[in-house]
Amino acid sequence: MKLQEYTESKHNFEECMKCTVCTAYCPVLQVNPLYPGPKQAGPDGERLRLKDPFFFNKALKYCLNCKRCEVACPSGVNVADLIQSARIKYDHTPPKLRDQLLASTDFMGKLARPFAPIVNGVTGLGVTKTALDWTLAIDHRRSFPKYSGRSFESWLKHRRKEQAAFPEQVAYFHGCYVNYNYPQLGKDLVKVLNALGVGVQLLEKEKCCGIAMITNGMSAQATKHAVHNVEQLRQAVVDKGLKVVTTSSTCTFTLRDEYPHLLGVDNASVRESLLLATRFIYEKLEKGATLRFKPDFHKKVAYHTPCHMEKMGWGIFSEKLLSMIPGVEFTLLDSNCCGIAGTYGFKKENYEVSQAIGEPLFAQIRSVNPDVVACDCETCKWQIEMSTGYTVMNPISILAEAIES
Amino acid sequence: MKFDSVIVGGGLSGMVAGIALQKAGQSTAIISTGQNALHFFSGTFESLLSPDKRIQTLFSEAGVRLHYSPGVRLTPMGTFREAALSLEDIDLFPTPQFARKVLIVNFLGYHDFFSSFLADGLEKQGMQCRVRFLNLPELEKLEQSPSEMRSVQIARTMDRIWEKVVQEIRVLLKDEDAVVLPQVFGLQDFSVPTRIRQGIPARVIFAGTLPPSVPGIRTQILLKRRYQLLGGSYLMGDEVTRAHIHDGVVHSVVTKNLEQHYIEASHFILATGGYFSKGLVANPFQVYEPVFGLDVDFKEDRNEWYNPAFAQDQPYMHFGVKTDASLRALKDGRPLENLYAVGSVLGQTRPEFGSAAGQAILTALAAADKILGL
Amino acid sequence: MNANEFDVIIIGGGITGAGTQRDCAMRGLRTLLIERSDIATGATGRNHGLLHSGARYAVNDPESAEECIRENRILRRIAAHCVDETDGLFITLPEDDLAYQQTFVDACRRADINAEIIDPDLARRMEPSVNPELIGAVKVPDGSVDPFRLCAANMLDAKLHGGQVRLHTEVTGFIREGNTIKGVHTHNHQTGEDADYYAPVTVNACGIWGHHMAEMAGVKVGMFPAKGALLIFAHRVNNVVINRCRKPSNADILVPGDTVCIIGTTSTRIPFEECDDVAVTPDEVTLLVTEGAKLAPSLSSTRILRAYAGVRPLVSADDDPSGRNISRGIVCLDHETRDGLKGFITITGGKLMTYRLMAEIATDMVCRKLAVDKACETAVVPLPGSEEGSYEEVAKKIWEAPTMAQKAAASRMGSRARRIRTGNKRDDALICECEEVSVGEINAAIDRMDVSTLTDLRRRTRVGMGTCQGEFCACRAAGLLAKAHGCIERERADLEDFLQERWKGNFPIGWGDTLREAEYTQWVYKHVLGL
Repeated sequence: MKLQEYTESKHNFEECMKCTVCTAYCPVLQVNPLYPGPKQAGPDGERLRLKDPFFFNKALKYCLNCKRCEVACPSGVNVADLIQSARIKYDHTPPKLRDQLLASTDFMGKLARPFAPIVNGVTGLGVTKTALDWTLAIDHRRSFPKYSGRSFESWLKHRRKEQAAFPEQVAYFHGCYVNYNYPQLGKDLVKVLNALGVGVQLLEKEKCCGIAMITNGMSAQATKHAVHNVEQLRQAVVDKGLKVVTTSSTCTFTLRDEYPHLLGVDNASVRESLLLATRFIYEKLEKGATLRFKPDFHKKVAYHTPCHMEKMGWGIFSEKLLSMIPGVEFTLLDSNCCGIAGTYGFKKENYEVSQAIGEPLFAQIRSVNPDVVACDCETCKWQIEMSTGYTVMNPISILAEAIES
Repeated sequence: MKFDSVIVGGGLSGMVAGIALQKAGQSTAIISTGQNALHFFSGTFESLLSPDKRIQTLFSEAGVRLHYSPGVRLTPMGTFREAALSLEDIDLFPTPQFARKVLIVNFLGYHDFFSSFLADGLEKQGMQCRVRFLNLPELEKLEQSPSEMRSVQIARTMDRIWEKVVQEIRVLLKDEDAVVLPQVFGLQDFSVPTRIRQGIPARVIFAGTLPPSVPGIRTQILLKRRYQLLGGSYLMGDEVTRAHIHDGVVHSVVTKNLEQHYIEASHFILATGGYFSKGLVANPFQVYEPVFGLDVDFKEDRNEWYNPAFAQDQPYMHFGVKTDASLRALKDGRPLENLYAVGSVLGQTRPEFGSAAGQAILTALAAADKILGL
Repeated sequence: MNANEFDVIIIGGGITGAGTQRDCAMRGLRTLLIERSDIATGATGRNHGLLHSGARYAVNDPESAEECIRENRILRRIAAHCVDETDGLFITLPEDDLAYQQTFVDACRRADINAEIIDPDLARRMEPSVNPELIGAVKVPDGSVDPFRLCAANMLDAKLHGGQVRLHTEVTGFIREGNTIKGVHTHNHQTGEDADYYAPVTVNACGIWGHHMAEMAGVKVGMFPAKGALLIFAHRVNNVVINRCRKPSNADILVPGDTVCIIGTTSTRIPFEECDDVAVTPDEVTLLVTEGAKLAPSLSSTRILRAYAGVRPLVSADDDPSGRNISRGIVCLDHETRDGLKGFITITGGKLMTYRLMAEIATDMVCRKLAVDKACETAVVPLPGSEEGSYEEVAKKIWEAPTMAQKAAASRMGSRARRIRTGNKRDDALICECEEVSVGEINAAIDRMDVSTLTDLRRRTRVGMGTCQGEFCACRAAGLLAKAHGCIERERADLEDFLQERWKGNFPIGWGDTLREAEYTQWVYKHVLGL
């Protein structure tokens, strides 16, 4: 290499031109003056932290990790990666019990699922909400995701033979939400893929992607999950030659990008084969596969681009897929953060901020007044349903509803 | 994914091309690395030669009203610069003496609007000036953060409390026939600048602030919205990393986000801008175009890239992608059949367009016309 | 006594002049310091900012080495807020002679420098950016010292001891009676005023410009202007000073200083006429990057912020064209005994970090001439700002939970940060976001530290020294200066000068992100702001 032919820096922080465009698009900055903003917390702060870790600012915890600063940055600086990496490196405050519980989505799922009707009933009770608010500082105004009585994994295991009969196979990284809270989405995916002649397998043993652990200051645990999951994916991709599909934009983003960028876990051997189901299906249809749609299907659908989807840049597949369903009247909502940001909005101290961040999106949904809001992220779904009363569906579920069984 | 045309670069030039092509019935995509130079837009086009009706129509259909009135605009440092066409809320004057007495209003604690420089500049032109600061409790929340008393955050607040600002200015106003305010109005509620003008019994002039530019962001929002309403796909935050070129024809491009999912098109437009947006990249040895590896007109000797005087014209700003007369970009000395270069990636090589913004729009329209066979 | 009469006049606002003024003032003399421009504008502000352990000189110049290590220990105590105790490495690369290491360490020990041979692996852990190919490493007590802060603190202390300072004031001639210098004629470049000042002793502490000053007084000091070019990288690549363990040569020191790191230097003899406007050539840039990348390979792909050059005030000893072999030693000339000119002394040579010793030597001479018998205390009395230890402690002592800007202020001003108005939103608002400089800190500098221009302000606060090189902060700060000085016209010109001065350091390395930033700055100032 010739000297100074190109320059490089950690998460490109030296490419920052100090133009302040990121601050104009940060959803947190608009509502929380305690947050120093992406420019100060990211590239500006990095130079000072390199001088002395004393300059680490604990207020970086207010970052939602929505990555909207990165999408807006004209210079390609990975602003949010810088902020999250700094938190991982310098913030050694042990996470609160509340944060640990919120972050351990698969542990909580395992614990709660067998007692689903009781847990759902209890977490729905005013008295429990108040108690959670008091004891764990989980905001009482939140509604909790319901737990399902039977896990998706056990449902699919019973259909192993039937799925194996399909000529083409994919593995499905379903994530905690599908497994414990909403197996119907997984079933919808199986229906659509089966209609395309594709059978669905589970990974040997998947663990939570770990995104909630990363944002809640539990990077060591998150790294363990990452190492485990990458090995599981490797077995599917490299050993069995399968593509792995997902239905959660955040899980996908975490597995593909947060693992190498924030946790330093190498996923190069599997990254290309890890696809959101909408992209996988779109590509199949583009290559000539067909689906038989119900002739009388009609829905007014408004699509919300989740933050991590915006960052991945794959919203276009969901948009195109929904637009090609006959009978769908499609609106693309302005890309704004809904405010939940995973577990962020569940915390008592963030409730007001969370709702204020989401308000422009909620207002737009109310003015469009769709039959259903479409979105590839489960936490956005909770937030939008709770805040607007509109039903939110994954594009895969809408597709499943629109095709002949 | 396949489109009729794909535009690399989502700034002023890219969006104008995209809107023109979508309007003509094409399916297009814009791939944009991030936000763009409209965020630093002064709101005026300097010395654009003619009041091109087509430009005004294209913008007004997007909700951006322009007015043509060759003269001067007031700069944030209190000087006057030549300009011909501007956004509706930015005034152009036939001569700098736009008023007899001027009230300049700033917000207490706002350092990005240079009221004292403005006053000095206006007084030099024979206008009497009074500077007053508004102390608004609604802005206190912003000030709690030491770095956020900035244009965009103030504008968000102003969208809510502009009526109060009008009230306070009415109280301050004595016998001045003009009021100068910072450009922090109408970020999301686009009607605010007009309503402020209606509410104040004097001529209201909005003068620029340090970036980001609120009128610029508003223009960006409106043009992007228009483009998407016309059915265009705007891929924000993605970056074209390379292209597949065979026999002088671009077949597809590869992006950072979509990777092996190539984007194909019959025509491509390169609207990636200058150095800031990395449309052009300089290292110690050369200036190059990073996406298609196009021919760039630059001086071999690096000593000739710069003028040691900052205020003087800088030679490096004239370097740009070479094209043929139809704006088709050259690679290895020959034009690529279906790739057009527009806007700042051409360098400041088209003085007839007056300014970077003028060049962005006019070359974009010219490229769109070529693609449409007009 | 007349207001224009002093015990001693010091010409030159570099570190030598400032240090001498402080020492004289602490010994009870009435002092006046005259500087034609601003503090630290010559060699003081144009070097590495290296707090030498002395190791670099141990083999060839043991006397300098001993001076360095003594002063090194003193500065850690008296100038804590200006010093960064980083330690240093002398590395041996495969192309270097490893046998030199022992010669080097032996020489260090003789000079009382604690030089410790360490395992290359340990060196790599101690400083991850170091060239991993190294075959030998010696750890020494090097550090870095901020020359602007050091100079400002000395001048401030002189003022606290009754000293007077005239910046932007040029000495236009000497007031002479027979064989005696009685005072100076001056011209203030900012006010346009001429004034005469009188003192029985005048100290020539003008660095390389001392050559001319001596000529003006009618005596000859044979100086040797040796230009040294340096590059500033945009962030700290290293946290430990990295040197080459070999005979001193070009670009073989990489020093971390505040938020940046600096590689240097070259050494070229230049004509005196060029001293006022030294430019860095493309060849020098290439040499600095090439050699720098041998110390820390990542420099070959790290953004460069600026290029600059200083002129060392060496005193000629032989005809060595490079000046490398001339002693960096201190030269203090009594022109009465040497040339028969009474009331005039020249202090020169030396290094940034031996300034205190130079000042002590010069002050001793001044005191002898004035028959003042008072011991030097500058080695024990801390500079203003350095009384309370590290900036971490200071910041936590002043503010329970310091903000970023408060931490940064403490790191720049030490305990003097206490005097910044802070804790309310108006004073805490940031003017410079790259370096975290608040309105309060800028106003404190304007109020108490003789700030006339934006460039003066930069030297005292780091406004405009960060990544954006003043793109955003310069015009904000200009607003504050305009308000303080009440002159818009002057401030507009000042802003233009500031941008020109920043560009001067940018264009020699005008590529990559630096050129992107320059294009953006052009855009903001010419098109948006209409300057």
